[in-house]
Amino acid sequence: MTTTEKAPAGGEPGQLVEMSWDPITRIIGNLGIYTKIDFSNRRVAECHSTSSLFRGYSVFMKGKDPRDAGFITSRICGICGDNHTTCSVYAQNMAYGIKNPPLAEWIINLGEAAEYMFDHTIFQDNLVFVDYCEAMVKDTNPSVLRRARDTEAPGAAVHGFRTIADIMEAFNPFEGSVYKEALQVSRTTREMFCLMEGRHVHPSTVYPGGVGTMPTPTVFTDYLSRLMDVIDFVKKAVAMNDDVFDFFYEALPGYEEVGRRRVMLGCWGAFQDPSVVDYKYETMNQWGKAMFVTPGVVVDGRLLTTDLVDINLGIRILLGSSFYDDWVNEEPFVTHDPLGNPVDMRHPWNQTTLPVPQKRDFDDKYSWVMSPRWQPPGTNDHLALDTGGGPFARLYTTALANMVDTPYVKSTGSSVRISLPKGRDLPETTLEWRIPQWSNALERNRARAYFVAYAAAMALHFVEQALGLVHAGDTKVFEDFEVPDEAIGCGFHEAVRGVLSHHLVIRDGKIANYHPYPPTPWNGSPRDSYGTPGPYEDAVQDMPIFEENGPDDFRGVDIMRAVRSFDPCLPCGVHMYVGGGRTIQKLHSPMFGSTHA
Amino acid sequence: MAEIRVGEPDVAPDAPSHVKGVRQGNRKGAYAHENGHHEDGTADSRRSTGIRPKERDPILPVMPNLPPC
Repeated sequence: MTTTEKAPAGGEPGQLVEMSWDPITRIIGNLGIYTKIDFSNRRVAECHSTSSLFRGYSVFMKGKDPRDAGFITSRICGICGDNHTTCSVYAQNMAYGIKNPPLAEWIINLGEAAEYMFDHTIFQDNLVFVDYCEAMVKDTNPSVLRRARDTEAPGAAVHGFRTIADIMEAFNPFEGSVYKEALQVSRTTREMFCLMEGRHVHPSTVYPGGVGTMPTPTVFTDYLSRLMDVIDFVKKAVAMNDDVFDFFYEALPGYEEVGRRRVMLGCWGAFQDPSVVDYKYETMNQWGKAMFVTPGVVVDGRLLTTDLVDINLGIRILLGSSFYDDWVNEEPFVTHDPLGNPVDMRHPWNQTTLPVPQKRDFDDKYSWVMSPRWQPPGTNDHLALDTGGGPFARLYTTALANMVDTPYVKSTGSSVRISLPKGRDLPETTLEWRIPQWSNALERNRARAYFVAYAAAMALHFVEQALGLVHAGDTKVFEDFEVPDEAIGCGFHEAVRGVLSHHLVIRDGKIANYHPYPPTPWNGSPRDSYGTPGPYEDAVQDMPIFEENGPDDFRGVDIMRAVRSFDPCLPCGVHMYVGGGRTIQKLHSPMFGSTHA
Repeated sequence: MAEIRVGEPDVAPDAPSHVKGVRQGNRKGAYAHENGHHEDGTADSRRSTGIRPKERDPILPVMPNLPPC
């Protein structure tokens, strides 16, 4: 039920051309997308997403001191490591039975808000926009560029670009003004992060029980002055994104089908509220709902739950196409949660990782990624949730849940209203993200720009709260604790590109089991034991192709836009060949502009 | 572990990262022993310096006590 129905193949079987992009990632180059394209019908007939790298964190975490978990798991990622540290701290706090002092919680929230602003900006403006820039569009859809030159940009008064083509030129890598300004902004936002968490991207001052950041007033005013420096850029970015993506819908009718899949989104919530959170499993439903990004699962536009206990108990790790042995015959670690609910053998608390390296075979096993799925309470469905690249699911659940109500961000039940104060050039602005009709590539990208604004607005609220405590003389940022001999814990957070959970079991004061589940295993998962494809595969399969080039000079830009909209820790090298191993072109996408005259 | 052949480990996987006898910053009661930190979450200038700290406290009681580091 979770798959998108596949249309009957219209073309002759002989016309299918195999195309693959491997690697398609940004940092460690291990995600491959293998497709079969039907050029006569201009559709993608089949898609497999594969990872060629085994990580093994769940294997080598065993036996270690649980206090080290935040520092070790941070190394999972070179761009969102702090999300892992934070999530690990949440899980450890639950296991140790402690909570962070309020000021420490605001400091972590401020650091995480800066991380969202930094990472979304650098990804959107320096990587996603390469696929929408003037040089790329000229190469793949020249007629669209011609039209863009004659189309006035509706948001010109805000961002200052007269036509859509002017915006696209500003996106050109290395040369365009937006590309260059975004690099500056990502530097400033990274400085904001370092003020709060000590070091980017592996924090040095975030621990279970609190932070080591010295909460002087200057730390917060330095943060605030940097935030006000970039606030106008955020307003302009939203206007530019709206203009470009609206133009794509207009210029290429049917473009909403690119990267489209059923609305099946998961968000595990971000930004704890220190007045509510106590990190006890028994009250997780209450403090989960108080988070400043509401956790939840949305299916077909309907909010199924906002209860973190339901979310936790519904997680299933399926195999099927992954290079692992099943662990069902191993001893379970946790049979019941602290509320007495049974915990499934396929839940991360009970998972044992049993790697079995083997040859890649698309008809059998083809990936190191497992298939995380979510089972709604009382059903037998295993939903292949995606994160919409992070912001899309966060805004969607927050909008529908109608629980967030702060001076700068308000959820309305169908939208999220974000108020940003007056900046250097632009006046006070209220932005509104409305729930769109589709879950597709353009909407995932659009949400990213809005979420930068969301994080900036939330950061203003957090700074005010933190300075309030400092002005009252409350500077406590750390709580002491003992490591228990036996305990379990779980942490739920949002990594920049979507859901993040850490599940921890402590025995004899050491880690007995530890399973981090970041967003890319959810999005990039292969077909599971029920045959359900993962979100990338689902979104790309049966997708129409709008590129004007034929098989000989095919760039696959529509497929890249679909996959990259999920923010898959993305593109470093792209290697493309047509059929039988015949290589027709080698690209290195971020270097695209270097050859562009 | 699964049926993978691996080399001899250089160190036991559960080698303790904590050395016995070394004070742990997180241990219960550590906060109470920190100079200049008060139970109610406030602090005084003894947190930053041991040299005539009282002279470095705020001049009026209504002012928050915010030692520099």
